[in-house]
Amino acid sequence: MNTRRTAAGRIGLFIGVALMAIWSFFPIYWMVVSSLRPERDLFSAPTLIPKTFDRELASYHNLLWLTDYWQQFLNSLMVAGVVVAVSLVMSIIISYVISRYRVPGKSLIIGGMLYAYMFPPMLLAIPLLAIFARWQLADNLVGVIVAHCTMTIPLGVWLLWGFFKAMPMHLEEAAMVDGCTRVSAFFRVVLPLSLPGIVTVAIFSFLLSWTDYVFAFVLVSSDSLKTLPVGLASILGSFDARWGELMAGATLITLPLLIMFSLLSRYFIQGLAAGAVKG
Amino acid sequence: MQSFKTASDRRLLVVFVVCVGATLVLILGPALYAIQLSLYEAKTFVSPRTWVGLDNYARIIVDPAFWQALGTGLVFSISAIVLQVVLGIAFALLLNQAFPGRALMRGVAILPYLLPTVVIAITAQWLLDGSLGLWTHWAQDIGFGRPHWFENPVSAMTIVVLASVWTWTPFVAVCFLAALQTVPASLYEAARVDGAGAIMRFFHITLPMVAPMLLVVILLRSIWMFNKFDIVWLLTKGGPLNATEHLPILAYRKAFLQFDLGGGATVATLSFMLLSILLAIYFHFVPLDEKEARA
Repeated sequence: MNTRRTAAGRIGLFIGVALMAIWSFFPIYWMVVSSLRPERDLFSAPTLIPKTFDRELASYHNLLWLTDYWQQFLNSLMVAGVVVAVSLVMSIIISYVISRYRVPGKSLIIGGMLYAYMFPPMLLAIPLLAIFARWQLADNLVGVIVAHCTMTIPLGVWLLWGFFKAMPMHLEEAAMVDGCTRVSAFFRVVLPLSLPGIVTVAIFSFLLSWTDYVFAFVLVSSDSLKTLPVGLASILGSFDARWGELMAGATLITLPLLIMFSLLSRYFIQGLAAGAVKG
Repeated sequence: MQSFKTASDRRLLVVFVVCVGATLVLILGPALYAIQLSLYEAKTFVSPRTWVGLDNYARIIVDPAFWQALGTGLVFSISAIVLQVVLGIAFALLLNQAFPGRALMRGVAILPYLLPTVVIAITAQWLLDGSLGLWTHWAQDIGFGRPHWFENPVSAMTIVVLASVWTWTPFVAVCFLAALQTVPASLYEAARVDGAGAIMRFFHITLPMVAPMLLVVILLRSIWMFNKFDIVWLLTKGGPLNATEHLPILAYRKAFLQFDLGGGATVATLSFMLLSILLAIYFHFVPLDEKEARA
């Protein structure tokens, strides 16, 4: 690391960091600020720092009480919750057994998972809808949950496999010598030690499901079953663009992610560096 | 490594087989089904099908729309990847310097990557709105008139590319920053003693040291950018006049809007094949053992 820096170098660094911060943060700033202004002010010439704020938060009020927002919020929450639970259970079992037992075709399984993780959602969504249409699961949140699991289970197996492999096997063996069964050795020894990996998988499963647009857009058509991203996009599609409400909705979708990120940024960065968000 | 000996081991084996089986069916099923659909002619998802063999392929291969979509996809993904890699490296180099507030800046620089695509698309449309958008006003103030961003093919493509660059630059930055930490400081010290400047040090030490990682990142970005549906669809719907219509949008339009499910499945299958070439290269450069170490 460069410790002796010239004055010119310091100014250059400052300008570079400032530009980076503006580039990364300005659209987010503008989104939040626009959601807080009175809706009629959005029709006048914009100023960088708004002169008026809406004390009544009419944009939020309209969004929450005059649209299907709550229903869509519950849909999103329910889908993400089930997706997180299913992918955790499945990926823990798969990756644990693969890391501990002699499993034939091991690299084929892991390779298949990784291959699947690279698949683009639109290419999976078309055949999935065709299958769900046959099984009467079209326009049903179960279909969305299943579709999201095609992204989250391979991710979970990939991340957790690395975790379990790195954990010395003699820890559980010691516990089993002391009288634990394999299952209780797993819950008492392995699970607590691999908690960071499990938290990472839970976070990214939630993130993938919560932010997904493609699968929910293709698989669900009735208004009452839409998830938040699809619901928000359909406000945009209506004739009069209600920008205040749109910005309020965008801010509200982002908020849980920002809170999670500020509390758990260590896990986020760990997962990001492992390529956990496909995109 | 153990084999399945005791009764409880065997119970675990059963659970494991069920889990793996379910996952593989979940993932390979749709992929194989897409191939099957591409061999039939069907109007919608519920209408009856007729077997047509490879007719769909013969039809799509000579369809100029397919080649145009392929070209559009290449323009979109290559320009987006080049820009995000350059910008991502620049961000990583900045974030690797010591300055007050660095931890906060690292967080801020990652933010775009966490936002749902729909939020990015809607905010971009608000900034570019034809009459109320902030950037439209600015363009007007500096004398560009009132640009119709989404009605001009070049500016529509530029918007789609820049929105993608904005979103996925942090991925490159995070990976590059992690790789930078693995370059031994002694190399830089030695180069400095020999009188190498910052630019020399970057091209002769940093870049060669992180080149393998950079290759993997570029491959991953290519795999994902080439088939990105949502950001393009939400910003332009493939318009104006198909100027931003790439293969995923073509597949969607055929399957859902033009009542040509077989054609849509064919486009999807052809994209799978193109993608598999990229994936084969990826697996060639990143064997599974190495991934173990990374995860």
